[in-house]
Amino acid sequence: MPADPPSKTGKVAHNLLLVDDEPRIRRVLRLALEDEGYQVLEAANGVDALAAFRREPPDVVLLDLMLPDRDGFTVCREIRRASAVPVIMVTARTDSHDVVAGLEAGADDYVTKPLVAKELSARIRALLRRVEPATTPQSQRFVLGDLQIDLSAIEVRRDGVPLPLTRTEFKLLAELAGVEGRICSREHLLNKVWGYGYFGDSRIVDVHIRRLRVKVERDPANPQHVVTARGLGYRLAG
Amino acid sequence: MRRFGLRGFGLRDRVMLAYGLLALGLSVVLALVTWGVVSHYLIQQRTDSAIVETTDNAAALHYGLSRVHPAVGKLLDSLPSTDRAASLVYFENQWYAAVGSPADLPPQLVANARAGGESDQQLQVAGQHVLAVGVPLSRPGDAYFEWHPLDGLDGTLRTLRITLLFAVLVTLLLGLAVGRLASTLALRPLAELTYAASAVARGRLDARLQAEDDRDLGGLATSFNQTAAALEQRVAADARFAGDVSHELRTPLMTMLNSMQLIQNHRGELPEVVREPVELLGDDLERFRRLVVDLLEISRDDGGDRGSRELVMIAELVQAAADATAGRSVTTVAADAAGLVLQADKRRLERVIANLVENAEDHAGGCKGVFVEAGGLGVTIHVDDAGPGVPLADRARIFERFGRGSDAAPTRGTGLGLAIVARHVQWHHGTIVVTDNPDGGARFTVDLPANLRGQPPGCMVAPSDSEGVTMRLRG
Repeated sequence: MPADPPSKTGKVAHNLLLVDDEPRIRRVLRLALEDEGYQVLEAANGVDALAAFRREPPDVVLLDLMLPDRDGFTVCREIRRASAVPVIMVTARTDSHDVVAGLEAGADDYVTKPLVAKELSARIRALLRRVEPATTPQSQRFVLGDLQIDLSAIEVRRDGVPLPLTRTEFKLLAELAGVEGRICSREHLLNKVWGYGYFGDSRIVDVHIRRLRVKVERDPANPQHVVTARGLGYRLAG
Repeated sequence: MRRFGLRGFGLRDRVMLAYGLLALGLSVVLALVTWGVVSHYLIQQRTDSAIVETTDNAAALHYGLSRVHPAVGKLLDSLPSTDRAASLVYFENQWYAAVGSPADLPPQLVANARAGGESDQQLQVAGQHVLAVGVPLSRPGDAYFEWHPLDGLDGTLRTLRITLLFAVLVTLLLGLAVGRLASTLALRPLAELTYAASAVARGRLDARLQAEDDRDLGGLATSFNQTAAALEQRVAADARFAGDVSHELRTPLMTMLNSMQLIQNHRGELPEVVREPVELLGDDLERFRRLVVDLLEISRDDGGDRGSRELVMIAELVQAAADATAGRSVTTVAADAAGLVLQADKRRLERVIANLVENAEDHAGGCKGVFVEAGGLGVTIHVDDAGPGVPLADRARIFERFGRGSDAAPTRGTGLGLAIVARHVQWHHGTIVVTDNPDGGARFTVDLPANLRGQPPGCMVAPSDSEGVTMRLRG
């Protein structure tokens, strides 16, 4: 199913919060992203970013990790504390420690400089895509041990109490639930949840699985629900 | 330049040989001295006792002979019998013999004894080694002779000879063994140096020698380590420079790329006259972007980046990368490689395969096929192209940065593609060679080990140079 189309088609445009300390980058990305159909808010530093975030909650945050006043990781954690909004971080290097640290701080995905708006737009669309379970609608609700997963309500409860999953974490859980206990390879999850091809960065999956476990497992170090199939991927278990 | 003699041997062999020869010489001298002293002493002793015995017998005989008409034969028989083989007396111009024949006596000895001198001489009688002794009797011209067999002494001396020879041989062998051991111990640092130097030559610039506190080797180790450190620093500085430049280029590049994208999104609104320049600008901007991305990729490796390793299904990965790059199905997976899993950095391997296929597509008449099979190290990947092949002289150069083949036409490549391939293959402790394909064209063969054995890149590994081109780092 196609993703939410941008405003060119007349629908309400998504709001982006663009956080970058480089004015030229902000300017050109705003121009290009607006051309792609988004509404773009800018922030030049962490304080402004958090203020803008509270003033007008965006649909997606685009966060450069190198900020002058406080580092992007802190900003990311602050945002994550307040909201489950998708955060895409912008990093200098693919395999620096920044990537894992940023994902651990709560980012949903990352892009590397030099980036073009088109690429960014693809990432944003993947994150905003609605949850699409792999199975037919006959099973919109799953029960997994003490967890109740409701796909239509986008909600996971444990003993009746809703768990604060982000959109991405929920999609990950829904994708695993959709295959009914079979193993999902990381490549499959990357493709289904993040829209990557075969060569997406599997660390994204691993970090999100860790974050998911912290929320859904009673003992994250000894997971009972989200189980690792070594060398193959992950699967759900009751 | 001619090389002579022992240079054909290794240093260790030469040291061993020297020790052996020294031991041999010393033991031969010692054996000869021992032999001389002992054999002389034994013969002297035997001679002395033979003379004493003969003199005693002569004295006893003298008493008997002093009577009138003595029975000389009986007197001879009555002498106490010892181990002497013969006793003869020359009495009043006549020979009497208990045993033996006067003909066997050397005339010189007889003459000497008859002239009043005591004398002895070794001789062979009937195949027996004997010591003949002659002593004068009281009457001038008369003399008494005996000979004593020396067989017992000969046996002793033979045993001594064999023992000494054996000792010489044992000493020689010991000398060789000690020489071997000493040279091995002494040359161990040299082996380490060779190992470290070849590691540096293979691009492991962090290889260092441990022997800096050794009194004899400290100088060598220190200067080697300093040289290696300087080289490492220079290479790192070069890499940092390229990396820093590329980093700085990213911001303007991002501005240009996104502006260009905007312009191209609205191509239709451009006046006719600027459309072609914009197109040109767009193409070159794309080349520029690829160059910066490749430079960042290569400087990242130079910066000692560790990357991430995971278990990958290698055939699946190669197929995904190769087919996507070629835009069609080009990959053949051998049955023995289908389920092969190896530890790798997925992103780097993708670059390896994609760059090789791209190289074949763009510069060598198209990719004829990519083959994955189980190989000596773990997995072997061939990328065949339909080009003219790579001349022998270019086979190392094409893996260098901007080291295009000598007759390559300028193309959209950055000149870094194969250098990145070489670096990434090396990162995986694998090898890459380019050869001629029997069916024409070039064949790039990548060998990857099944297991990185938990070693982070940049640490020393056992030499794995195969024939062909191995990757080199340029300082």
